[in-house]
Amino acid sequence: MADSKLTRSNRTGWLMSLPGFTLVALFIIVPFFFAFGLSMTNQRLVSPNPTKYVGLENYRQMLDIALVTLQPERDASGTVIRDDEGTIQYPRLRRLSRSDPAFERYKGMREWFGWQSGESHKAVVVRDPLFWIALRNTLLFVLVVAPVQGGIALGLALLVNQKLRGINAFRTIYFMPVVVSIVVVSLLWRFIYDGNDGLLNNLLDTLSFGAIPGVDWLGNPSTALGAIMAMSIWQAVGFHMVIWLSGLQTISPTLYEAADIEGASKWQAFRYVTWPGLRNTAVLVIIVITMQAFALFAQIDVMTNGGPLDSTQSLVFQAVERGYGKQDISGGSVISVVLFVLVLAISLVQRWLTRDRQN
Amino acid sequence: MATLSMSGLTKRFGDIEVIRGVDIDIADGEFVVFVGPSGCGKSTLLRMIAGLEDISGGELRIDDHLVNDMQPRDRGIAMVFQTYAIFPHMSVRENLGFGLTIAKVPKAEKEQRVMQAARILQMEHLLDRRPSQLSGGQRQRVAIGRAIVREPSVFLFDEPLSNLDAALRMDMRMEIGKLHEQLGATMIYVTHDQVEAMTLADRIVVIKDGIVQQVGAPMELYHQPANRFVAGFIGSPSMNFLPVEVQSVDHDSALVASTSLDAVRVPMRVEPLKSGDQALLGLRPQYLVPTNEQDAGQLHGTLSLVERLGSETVVDVNTRENTRLVAAIADDRTFETGTEIAFTFDPNRAHLFSAAGDGALNK
Amino acid sequence: MISHDNHGLRLAVRYAVLVLVAIIFVFPLLFMVMSSLKPDHQLLVDTGSLRAFLPVGDISFDNYAAAFQRAPISTFVINSVIVTGVTVMLSLAICSLSAFSFVFLRWSGRNLLLSILLATLIVPFETIAIPLLLLVSKLPWLGLDGLEQGWLNSYHVQILPFAADALTIFLFVQYFKDLPSELVEAARVEGASWFQIYLKIIMPLAGPVVATAAILRFLFMYNQYLWPLMVVQSDEYRPVMVGLQYFFQLDTPWGEVMAYLSLITIPVLGFYLMLQRAFIASIASTGVKG
Repeated sequence: MADSKLTRSNRTGWLMSLPGFTLVALFIIVPFFFAFGLSMTNQRLVSPNPTKYVGLENYRQMLDIALVTLQPERDASGTVIRDDEGTIQYPRLRRLSRSDPAFERYKGMREWFGWQSGESHKAVVVRDPLFWIALRNTLLFVLVVAPVQGGIALGLALLVNQKLRGINAFRTIYFMPVVVSIVVVSLLWRFIYDGNDGLLNNLLDTLSFGAIPGVDWLGNPSTALGAIMAMSIWQAVGFHMVIWLSGLQTISPTLYEAADIEGASKWQAFRYVTWPGLRNTAVLVIIVITMQAFALFAQIDVMTNGGPLDSTQSLVFQAVERGYGKQDISGGSVISVVLFVLVLAISLVQRWLTRDRQN
Repeated sequence: MATLSMSGLTKRFGDIEVIRGVDIDIADGEFVVFVGPSGCGKSTLLRMIAGLEDISGGELRIDDHLVNDMQPRDRGIAMVFQTYAIFPHMSVRENLGFGLTIAKVPKAEKEQRVMQAARILQMEHLLDRRPSQLSGGQRQRVAIGRAIVREPSVFLFDEPLSNLDAALRMDMRMEIGKLHEQLGATMIYVTHDQVEAMTLADRIVVIKDGIVQQVGAPMELYHQPANRFVAGFIGSPSMNFLPVEVQSVDHDSALVASTSLDAVRVPMRVEPLKSGDQALLGLRPQYLVPTNEQDAGQLHGTLSLVERLGSETVVDVNTRENTRLVAAIADDRTFETGTEIAFTFDPNRAHLFSAAGDGALNK
Repeated sequence: MISHDNHGLRLAVRYAVLVLVAIIFVFPLLFMVMSSLKPDHQLLVDTGSLRAFLPVGDISFDNYAAAFQRAPISTFVINSVIVTGVTVMLSLAICSLSAFSFVFLRWSGRNLLLSILLATLIVPFETIAIPLLLLVSKLPWLGLDGLEQGWLNSYHVQILPFAADALTIFLFVQYFKDLPSELVEAARVEGASWFQIYLKIIMPLAGPVVATAAILRFLFMYNQYLWPLMVVQSDEYRPVMVGLQYFFQLDTPWGEVMAYLSLITIPVLGFYLMLQRAFIASIASTGVKG
């Protein structure tokens, strides 16, 4: 005799979960697969022409990167040509790719950066420099923000985990910027970072009695990204402090008492009790920060628009710039897919780090 | 009021069969207790009766209606859970009346039935309290009250006293007994505690591994256990099992002996044995009588532990073949550990079981 | 032996560190609010001293009045309230109902559906924003004026894509799993339908998780920027964060900017300070995932 279906409620079960599932499917799952599909077309937001399938052409355009070696220009006698200052002269890549069959493959590509190697010049050439700059900045942002923000957050968590009167007030204060919109924070800090009348410059000026000259923090390519990193850390560090804190509070106080009785110093107690107890929290914090850092957009849009000199371009900013600004949906989708692959890789690393070590 | 009948009931979770063909008929107004070790399937069986678990096979009838596929609410049952399961966000009054509120019973009638249940359980003064303001015993009373308000034809109790402390457990046990007398309803009660089973039940159903081992009145199970498992499970302290060898048999008795047991003829009620078989002699601790002279006794050993409980003295004895025996002695003679001791017993109160298998019924 | 003086000193050092760090977090926000009350010429001078953080000098609400002149702020505020409020409500109702059916009901496809939902947790919104933009620009909508093509410039384009999400469902699922299943079984025996159990037994017990989910959803929705930036082009439906663009121009007086920033931030901060324990607990609970 088959199981009776008394305790199964197929109709009610589906009915109750359907609103939620339909919305998630329509607005998350479908666009997710759209991203892959659209990245292989020439789709535009509004276009009179029908959409065409182009295969991996968009990826080829965006991801194409190569290392080329340029030999110096020589005169008839074979001597290297130098200019008045003695700098070696190299042929232009654009000319070479037109005249020299060996360089034809590099047609339309531009030098991203290069260096001198003996007499020849090595150059990394790309077809889409803006994408590569955005990718580099995003990775740089992630690589700096993740450890620094995670570390400061842990420090703050240890600070507010002390048993002191009024400690909750400090917790509340440190967390405060988290509830403030990143857009508001960005605009506020634009004023703080301002080159002329900014709070930061004026404060530095006062504190150093005029010794430190004012810097246009956001207007200078060498400080802009760093300034945005610092502000981003300031805004979100409280978030991760709270996650660390809940990790800290899962460590049994009897372990500390035991360490105390064994005569462990403060540092030893941290090294042998606290830190091992925080392993999984550490992985979680780093992952969450990394995910958030990859999504870098509002700060750029409000503070620098990617400038100066593209020094603050980010992947999401480029995706929006193309997909929305230039209505190039397919271009934006390619960047979205690249971003997702990066995030997925991070998640897999997380899985691997927190895997069950029993097996 | 209702009768209930199970025939060939089975329950499978995937490939594992947890209830393996249960046949029980329960009479109107009867108090039946399902008892067995944890994981034996007794709670699953109760939940199948309640309609909270699917029935994989067989038939379940309440008052001759097949209810296999009927929703819990349509079966005319009420259930009391081990964790009480009273709704923490409702007052006692709202808890008691919940079923009637759902059924849209008119307010006046609801109020009257709630008051009546509260009177029966003497908790009129608690009606406006929240569950968090109640003690464990009071919470269980609310759970029972909620069952009473439904006026069910069958009450189901799933280990209702397990979460209470020992003293309270005894009070509530008596109250449930009284409630049964007062309402005269059919009740099915699940417990792992054989004392609850013995004191409450009209009939006890002993279950192990999803199989009914024996059904019978409490004293019937005590005196005539159907197998070694039931013999060991019912009674406290548990029955002793002494390894013996069968020396000879006639049609309903056997002569058995061992190093520490002088040859004795005992009735053979459970399984047929033959000469030369290894067997287990079941002796209840209460029926072992210590003798003063070594030679007068039938069973010999050394005292290893003495526990004086006041009403009785429980002694641990190491037999000559190093089996541990327990004897419960009613008088308060003093014993000294390490001394030799001998016991006599009434052979008619001894039970003889085969030493093979685990002693329980298996299919 | 630890002397009392030593102990007192150490305590003082601890508090000094705590206060110093607190200054780093409070002062920029304090600067924002104080600046919003000062005329521009004083504001710029004050940045050179501690006066930047004090309500001194020529204090007035003139900047606020000017900000209201510059942009239709009340429309933005109303839009944000509508979009955030409706989304939070919808999300709580829809996600809790889904989670209820995942945890308490047995139905075919349940595990598969839940796995698919939870898999979407690793998809950041930023990676689907562009294709989603194309999708909503093509979707039909049955409005008061009949069938329309495309959702751009509306409330629903800001609400519906966020009315259900895996994290909220996940939070409810976790919470419901910890409720004793006997409560549901008792209610079933008492004759309650599934929907009655959801409404009368489970939801009244779900207070803490409702607060958590509401706070997370509120913060996310109120602070949204990227999405409304792309899908709303007219002031009529623009929320406060995108309304900020009125103040992006370089010639905008900083006093007015600070006034607008304070205006849209202070209510949230007030809300936070009132319910800070719940806010912090809700962030901590997102840490349980993974």
